[in-house]
Amino acid sequence: MYRHFLLLLVALPCVMLTVGCQPTSVEKEAVRFAIAQAPLNLDPRYATDAASERVNRLIYQRLVEFDDHSKPVPGIASWKNLGDQNYQFTLKQNLAPFHDGQLLSADDVKATYESLQQLPDSPHAAEFANIRAIQIINHYTLEFKLKQVDPHFASKLIIGILPKSLIAQQHDFVHQPVGNGVFKFDSWNNTLTLERIDDGQQVTFIEVKDPTVRVLKLMRGEADLLQGDLPPELIQYMQTKPRIKVATTQGANYSYLGLNMQDPILAKHKVRQALAYAIDRQALIDAVMVDHTRLADAILPPEHYAGNPLLKAYTYQPALAKQLLEEAGVALPLKLVYKTSTDAQRVRLATILQAQMKAAGIALEIRSLDWGTFFAEVKKGKFQLYGLTWVGIKTPEIYSKVFGTTYIPPNGFNRGRYSDLALDEMLRQEDWQAVTARIHEQLPYIPLWYEGQAAAMRQHIVGYRPKADGNWDDLKTIKRAKGQLQ
Amino acid sequence: MISRLLNLISVVFGVLVLTFLLIHLVPGDPVEVMLGDSASVTDREALREQLGLNKPLLVQFGTYLNNLAHGDLGQSIHTKTPVIDLFKTRYPASIKLAFLSLIIGIVIGVPLGVYAALKAGHWQDLVVTIISVRLSAMPVFWLGPMLMLVFAVWLGWLPVSGMDEPTSIILPALTLGFGLSAILTRMTRTSLLEVLNDDFIRTARAKGLSETRVIVRHALRAALLPIVTIVGLQMGSLLAGTVITETIFSWDGIGRLLVESIEKRDYPVTQACVLAVALSYVVINLFTDVVYRLVDPRVRHAQAR
Repeated sequence: MYRHFLLLLVALPCVMLTVGCQPTSVEKEAVRFAIAQAPLNLDPRYATDAASERVNRLIYQRLVEFDDHSKPVPGIASWKNLGDQNYQFTLKQNLAPFHDGQLLSADDVKATYESLQQLPDSPHAAEFANIRAIQIINHYTLEFKLKQVDPHFASKLIIGILPKSLIAQQHDFVHQPVGNGVFKFDSWNNTLTLERIDDGQQVTFIEVKDPTVRVLKLMRGEADLLQGDLPPELIQYMQTKPRIKVATTQGANYSYLGLNMQDPILAKHKVRQALAYAIDRQALIDAVMVDHTRLADAILPPEHYAGNPLLKAYTYQPALAKQLLEEAGVALPLKLVYKTSTDAQRVRLATILQAQMKAAGIALEIRSLDWGTFFAEVKKGKFQLYGLTWVGIKTPEIYSKVFGTTYIPPNGFNRGRYSDLALDEMLRQEDWQAVTARIHEQLPYIPLWYEGQAAAMRQHIVGYRPKADGNWDDLKTIKRAKGQLQ
Repeated sequence: MISRLLNLISVVFGVLVLTFLLIHLVPGDPVEVMLGDSASVTDREALREQLGLNKPLLVQFGTYLNNLAHGDLGQSIHTKTPVIDLFKTRYPASIKLAFLSLIIGIVIGVPLGVYAALKAGHWQDLVVTIISVRLSAMPVFWLGPMLMLVFAVWLGWLPVSGMDEPTSIILPALTLGFGLSAILTRMTRTSLLEVLNDDFIRTARAKGLSETRVIVRHALRAALLPIVTIVGLQMGSLLAGTVITETIFSWDGIGRLLVESIEKRDYPVTQACVLAVALSYVVINLFTDVVYRLVDPRVRHAQAR
């Protein structure tokens, strides 16, 4: 009896394993792209996470794109202003059809944006609440009529266009996207696979959270490409491997320390200045950041059309920082709490900040919280200091949303509850040089850096370079070199 | 048996209540995660109403229990996928990994423990002790990548991670199995050493039975009870999902799903995961009790009295 039972105990799992482990073989030709976080939602009306946004850029096309200086330029449509509250968009001729064969027309654009306004659970719906009506002029032309003047309206039209007929059928774009982009959807089980329409080249996105494991997969040949979320020591390690090549480039994603301006200590200007002088940003970059990471002085980089290259960087001067704290009348050591996520790189940065600030008379207490709790506390204003990064910011409107008095939560992103009437006036006038200078001087944020972008790939992969905002657009042109050792 | 079932129901209900309360008490809610900062207060309230989050907690809990009673676990707030569909892929993956890890743990741990007990005080015992202590001291976030480096990158025998190939399960199972085997080695050794000095073993030897028969049929059987207890507890933990191992090896199991759902405040998924974990523990405990009766006549007789 017992022997039979034990035999069953051993045999049953073996049978289950044999039967259950059905191989889902990856196409030999597919480019396997190992990423830290898989996309969550392939419906562009819902997607907010970076991975979904980047994949959706491949599947769908948008009315508006951005040039190298982040100025809005025609995507699949050009536009003109017909008055302060009226924009006319004209679609380009001979656009690629949707992946289900239908032709893209002004009706699809109208249906996409109208459906967006009717989705109560879409994070993008509020952005388009200003649309009063969308009027079709002809097959290629339509007009957006606004409720209020918005000079940046065109740069907001970056939602991928969906087919009208499928919207009407309430098609599941979340899991089975249909657009008219360069890639069409193939499958999404454990991994997401897209297929390039021109040549059938497949790209498979494999989620591998641990950076060390991503690198091991690249070395083993289970992945062909990695990008982002790689600590510098792993990048240096990969640079020594003959079958792997590493490409880095300047980034545009802005990292900063957020300050709570309602905190009586941090409300003092000299304390904020002391914090800026208490951080050796260059040493941090040299020690723990990817190549091509550069110092930042404003949310938008100097090359942005609203950037300000004239801002003078705060340098590491712990003695001056200490002096400023004494002048501010705070008792030393000044105790401050710094909140961050549990991400290993974030915790590492916090530890270095803590050591640097100690020399300036600041005792930094680090509180590392799970992402959900951390972000909720930041949004509720339950912090003194926190560290975050703005990703993929294109329009200077960000300054209003982050520092404008009217955008204090729950009305916007002004999580530090910063209120400055002089700045509000500059924001109203859209004098971006004055705005950035004022913010740099008042320091509601302590600027850190624009993190460099790095990609690592097997030697046979060609035609791929990382981009400043971390997008994956080069997958449109990526190729496997013929005749090379794979 | 009826009292056991009632006990099971009360434990599961307690877990449901606690999970429901805790997840609603921690900072952050799904509406904030879904709509971000740019949504108006009106939009937030409208979505809260649509999701039923504006109702009193007791009403929300009642609705949840009612849906549960009808087999409806809800759908993920973020991906709109029915929770049951997530479970269909995630839970079998965890079960497979748990079973194979357990087998590896038993196959390595029990014989090593027996060997160490038979060689107690000799150098062989010392070697086994050193190995088991080392294995139990290795954290999975270190052992996992080391196994990957050796077996996948250097030797090229196995895939680094993922679930694409049948052999993908071997490295995560070894990572978990090694730790388990260390515990079982120590437990088997200790338990067996206690039994080997008992009178009935001396009697068995005096009857002229072979040493193998004495060890396997008499000593080991008597020593099995604490081993079964440990195996049961470990199996419960393994079925609850092993978050770190699943994350390192990109193994889409229940543990990873649970942590991801907590981060996103995806209430239906979190509640369903915790329910599954609680049920796993209860069922395994029940199963362990049955095994007690099978392996130890004293338990059978005690219960019969």
